[in-house]
Parts: sequence; structure tokens; C-alpha cells
Amino acid sequence: MGARRDVVVALLLLMAMAVLSYSAVASGFASGSLRPLGAEYLERAASTPEVVTAIVWNYRGFDTLFETFVFFLAIAGTLSVLRLSSRQEREVRRNEEREPHRKMDEIVRVITKLVVVAIVAVSASIAIHGQLTPGGGFQAGSAMAVASLLLFVVFSKFVLERSGLTLRHTLTAYAAGLAVILVTVFLPVLMGGHLLQIDLLPGESGLLSLDVGEYTAVTFGFLSVFLVLGISEWIFKGVLREEVK
Amino acid sequence: MMETAQFMLTYTVVVLFAMMVLGIYGVVTRPNMIKKVIMLNIMGDAINMLFIIIGYRLVYPVFPPVYEKHVGFREFLSGAVDPLPQALVLTAVVIGMAMNILLVTYAIQAHRLYGTTDVRDLADVLGQERREGP
Repeated sequence: MGARRDVVVALLLLMAMAVLSYSAVASGFASGSLRPLGAEYLERAASTPEVVTAIVWNYRGFDTLFETFVFFLAIAGTLSVLRLSSRQEREVRRNEEREPHRKMDEIVRVITKLVVVAIVAVSASIAIHGQLTPGGGFQAGSAMAVASLLLFVVFSKFVLERSGLTLRHTLTAYAAGLAVILVTVFLPVLMGGHLLQIDLLPGESGLLSLDVGEYTAVTFGFLSVFLVLGISEWIFKGVLREEVK
Repeated sequence: MMETAQFMLTYTVVVLFAMMVLGIYGVVTRPNMIKKVIMLNIMGDAINMLFIIIGYRLVYPVFPPVYEKHVGFREFLSGAVDPLPQALVLTAVVIGMAMNILLVTYAIQAHRLYGTTDVRDLADVLGQERREGP
């Protein structure tokens, strides 16, 4: 029964694929000409060379702002599912002290240290060059998240926590990043402009602070989720079981 | 030259539609939640690529939407690809990422609570819980 249903689903989807591809190709999917809106943006390239970033920050800035909110909702949803009361947090910490501190081989650790330094440098350069390259803050933050994930795997979450990056600190840094974005959005209103009219701010400081704010927010948002997900399975299960009781 | 480009473009579009359909198939038929998330990602990436391809131009030479002074503005206008789909995809990628975090967290939590990520087993466990209480 299950196999026959799968075959029917597959055949239907293959037919859908054939129809979609045929109609896309027949309608002249791509041509030499440009759509009028795209042409209009390209013509402004004389003043802002990187057109994609210009669209994202100047013309569709609200979209990027709400993208930050979507990311915030995802982090908030994750943390509320994996929430721990302060009593449970103490219990987790007590259990973690009993856990053996595993870490990887010397070679892996040394190479990871070198790679992490490189990743941090690259991500900072992406964030600071945000007005020249597409993406900016979010891409830089994702690169940083890779660095923290590497540290997680090769050392352990205890190394991060002992060097002062507990959940409370990362959440504070995340909130600070969001605050920088919000201030940049609302500052033009106080100066007599519209929301997000960042050209009122001196020089390129508007773009830079949006990029750096998003960079901080994404880096520490990810790190917070990793720190909560990094709690050992058996400890978390014990805490959950007690909560159910 | 243009015929080859046209062929490659058509080929890419067909492959991307195939990936999209494969993603839908996986989401519908695989019972494992993690596999569903992976297939959802494949589908999302295919759709994002399709978006970028919509903005591609069949001209030669073709430029990315980054204006460089040595190219010349007229030439840039006649050869640059449409920047708008790229700006849209930039947002879609981020939202896909946010969605991923949430879905994977729910899958992990389901595994911690019920010991399985198979939706059929989860349905059994949850149905039993509803009848008998936790």
C-alpha cells in the first residue's frame, strides 16, 4: 500500500515538473532584455556601485528590518522551547561538573585554533565591508556561527562557558545587537526624517551600524541556541523528566 | 555561443524544477522529521536558484550587478543582470535559516521527550498520551 502510494505521488510530481519546466522554457524564461524595475535600479549604480546592497538597505530596508525580526522570532521560539528555570539551570550545572571533559586530539585543537582566527577575521571583514559586498551583517554572523560551532565540537561548551560566554552573556550581546539596529532605524525620525532614512546620519555610519548590529545579533543569537542545545542529552532528559513529574 | 548559453539555461531550469519536485516528494513521503527538514532545504534552495536565474540576461558580456569604473556605464547597463531577484533571495535565505533553527530544535526536543523523530511513532505516542494522560 505504502509503496504504491509513493509511486503515485512520484508520478504526479514528475508530471508537475514536466509541465512547469515546459511552461517556463516556452515563455522565454530569460532573455536579453531587462525588466523595467531592474533597469531603474541599475541606472542608480553611478552613485551606489553595489546595486544589490543598495536595494536591500536603501529601497527595501524595511524588508531587511523585518528579516531581523523573523530571525528574532526563531531564536525566541527556540529558547522558549528549550527554556530552563534558574533551579533547573543550577541542576544542569551540578550535573555538568560530574561529566568527563572530553576534547579532541592535540593536532585537531591546534589547527582549529588557527582556522578559528582566520574565520573571525574573514567574518569581521565581511561585516565591515557590508556596504560594498552583498549581504553584510547576516553573512558575517553566519560565518562567525561556524567558528563557534567548530570550538564547540573540538573543545567543548565548557571552554566557552569558562571563558565567560554563558547563556546570560550571549543573550545580552544579542539584545545589544538588536538595540543598535533599532536605534539606527529610529534615529532618523528624531532628526526629522522618515524611519530608516539612514542617509541623514553622517557619512556611511548608518550602513555600518546596521551591518555591525546585525553581525552581533546573528553571531550571538546562534551562539545562544548552540549553548542551550549543547547541554548533554542525559542531563536535559533528567531535567525534563523532573518537570513532567 | 548564444545557443550554448540558451541550452545551458534551459538545462539548469529543468534540473532546478526536478530538485524542487524531489523536495516536495521527500517532505511528503519520508517519515523522519530530520529528513523532512533536509528535503525542505533542497526545495528551498532550488526555488532560490530559480529566482536568481529569472534575473539572468542572455547577453554577452554579462556582468554582476556591481558597477566598476573601468567597465563604462553604458556597457554596464547593457550587460548587468537584474539585481532585484538577488536582493529578494538574500532575504529568503535568511528566513530559511531562521525556519531551520526552529524546525531542528523541535525535532531535537521531540527526540528528547519521546525518543523518536519518526512522525508515525510520534503520532502513536501522542495518541496514547491523549487517551491515558502523560
